[in-house]
Amino acid sequence: MNNLPFAKITPRVAAELASIVGERNLIYADSERLQAYSHDEAAHCPPALPEAVLKPGSAAEIAAIMRLANREHIAVTPRGAGSGLSGGAVPIHGGIVLDCARMSKILEIDRENLTVTVEPGVITSEINDALRPFNLFYAGYPMSLETCMIGGNVAENAGGGKAVKYGVTGRYVLGLEIVTPTGEIVELGGKLVKDVSGLNLLQLMVGSEGILAVFTKIILKLLPLPKANVDLLCLFDSVEKAIAVVPRIITVGGIIPTAIEFIDKLAFSTACEYLNESLPCGSSEAMLLITVDGADQEQVEKQYDVIGEQCLAAGASAVYVADNKANSERIWRIRRSIAEAFKVFSPNQSLEDIVVPIAAIPAMSKAISDISQKYGVLIPCYGHAGDGNLHATPVMPPEWGLPQWERVLPAILHDLYQACKALGGRISGEHGIGHKRKQYLAETVDPGFLNMMRSIKTALDPNGILNPGKIFD
Amino acid sequence: MNILVLIKQVPESQATRMDESTGTIVREAANSVINPLDLHALECALILREQSDTTVNLDCLSMGPPAAVSVLKEAIALGADQGYLLSDRKFAGSDTWCTARTLAAAIAKIGSYDLILCGERATDGETGQTGPALAAMLDLPVLTYASAISRSAGGWRVRRMLEDGYETVETTGPAVVCVLKEASVPRLPTLAGKRRARAASCRVIDAAELGIDPADTGLNASPTRVVSIFRPNHLKHSERLSALDPAGVERAVEKIIAIFRQKGVL
Repeated sequence: MNNLPFAKITPRVAAELASIVGERNLIYADSERLQAYSHDEAAHCPPALPEAVLKPGSAAEIAAIMRLANREHIAVTPRGAGSGLSGGAVPIHGGIVLDCARMSKILEIDRENLTVTVEPGVITSEINDALRPFNLFYAGYPMSLETCMIGGNVAENAGGGKAVKYGVTGRYVLGLEIVTPTGEIVELGGKLVKDVSGLNLLQLMVGSEGILAVFTKIILKLLPLPKANVDLLCLFDSVEKAIAVVPRIITVGGIIPTAIEFIDKLAFSTACEYLNESLPCGSSEAMLLITVDGADQEQVEKQYDVIGEQCLAAGASAVYVADNKANSERIWRIRRSIAEAFKVFSPNQSLEDIVVPIAAIPAMSKAISDISQKYGVLIPCYGHAGDGNLHATPVMPPEWGLPQWERVLPAILHDLYQACKALGGRISGEHGIGHKRKQYLAETVDPGFLNMMRSIKTALDPNGILNPGKIFD
Repeated sequence: MNILVLIKQVPESQATRMDESTGTIVREAANSVINPLDLHALECALILREQSDTTVNLDCLSMGPPAAVSVLKEAIALGADQGYLLSDRKFAGSDTWCTARTLAAAIAKIGSYDLILCGERATDGETGQTGPALAAMLDLPVLTYASAISRSAGGWRVRRMLEDGYETVETTGPAVVCVLKEASVPRLPTLAGKRRARAASCRVIDAAELGIDPADTGLNASPTRVVSIFRPNHLKHSERLSALDPAGVERAVEKIIAIFRQKGVL
């Protein structure tokens, strides 16, 4: 890769960029407005100011921007809603931020082929709002679905709460129109269920964190909308018991729930206190929040009966059933409020995203508790038990100063990631590596894997200008 | 001891629409749920039963279409023993007075109760009249705006949340108590409760069995009518003060103090 320092955006280049996207879609030399593009939602990722923000309206404009950026050797960082949790949209080398927000149209709902074609700047939850009248739905369900954009979901291969049954974003991406780092517009895939005509570059793009291409059109696969769903809140007196039941629901019960969320006592009680919620958790050490969905109430009832039985047989002390909106919202609000609740306790925390084989969750949970004790730092743990993806979140003790926290946090993360690696896990399940976890990725994966990724990057982006400094060096 | 909780079935949707021409709720296909305040009443009853040394029989009574059995079953899932549903086309269109009259006739028929609990009002009609009207027809004391309830010697001790403070009242015998959400935090139904409810059958009582004269129930017997509904004009006025620097904060505070003085708050 080209290691030359990136060029600055001169007023001459800025004028040329303005001629591509239009004056009103360029922010340049206005540090107050540029500030908003200097960070995403990842704490502990130093912000960096872009030199210019461009809001293109078409693939052709993006292609022209990429050609210019290659010619001038200017860094380009694509950005969706800025809700990412890995610093992926932070322009660490300055240059251009490509804001996709203007490309926010749902282009086509194809009921014959069960697909929807969207632009990258569509807010994820709006896709399902548009599909509901047709009794169809898109199964992606990141926890930030009301603010994040579908382009970012594809770039991060977002997971979320329904991955156990429905899988992650990539499963639903049938086709992409991309702009390559050198400024070519290329179509990958299409409205096809099967396609082995050439290498699977479509899925190479999914989860590429904006370093291989800019997405300009996305074709997503749709499913029939489930008509009924029920949530179970199951309390256990040990983490082991809670986790042991997860594979049994699938293997013995013969049911794949929509979601199996794990919440430890610390996360549960902190969120409950924050919400002024008094659900009795008593002496429970762990909770599972299990969702089932189906075509009708009867089918869902059968499913939750079986799952509830499995939980009780595995030693659950209580199984609560939420089968209306108010009760469902009451328990999901707890799950969704955990991060916010800990921010009130201490604003400095590092939301982690480790993923381990599901059978290794109890061992990982034990390791997290050991690390917590070793450093004297609370590490609430919650996440997607059904797929082994745990959001262990070291929280700065309020009595510590920031310098102490910044000194100790890397050691905590190092221990956490090494424990995860030892159990056959990886450091990120759905948030991505971005800038935040780059140094740790190199420590936890095969060097051969890093080399292959570098080769691919160099082949597609010979000048190394697209989202430089992310995932690997 | 016998406790009765009155349960109303209301539309689940928060975006309930009113038909401005008929003055009734557009029920559409919205799922029905237990009126939220009735859940608090039921929770109070469940707690009183848990705290009691003697056996407490906890019944629920509702009036509505046959589908309202689902809210009684939900009450059973939460711990109620028996559900009674008053259901007959002849009851349809009853206003609060007629509803109270029909409920009173049913209560006289199904049993004698030491305590009758209901939510302070329902989220659909928002009148808060049925509980007190029922108490009048049963010739029982009524305690509205209850924020806490416990046993007293021979009766009930109720804390009422009023505009200017709390009032604690004791009864010497049975009473009708209309509870606020402050009175309790509803529990969630358990799997075992859900199964019990599925197996349970609620008793459905029609006008004939109740022995109520059709002229005394339903729309035609109702002395009140909703003649028109409209969106009220909000009379609240607000003023926003912004402050960009410490001097601005100072000015804003002065202004707020001046407003408070002018309104007689300070």
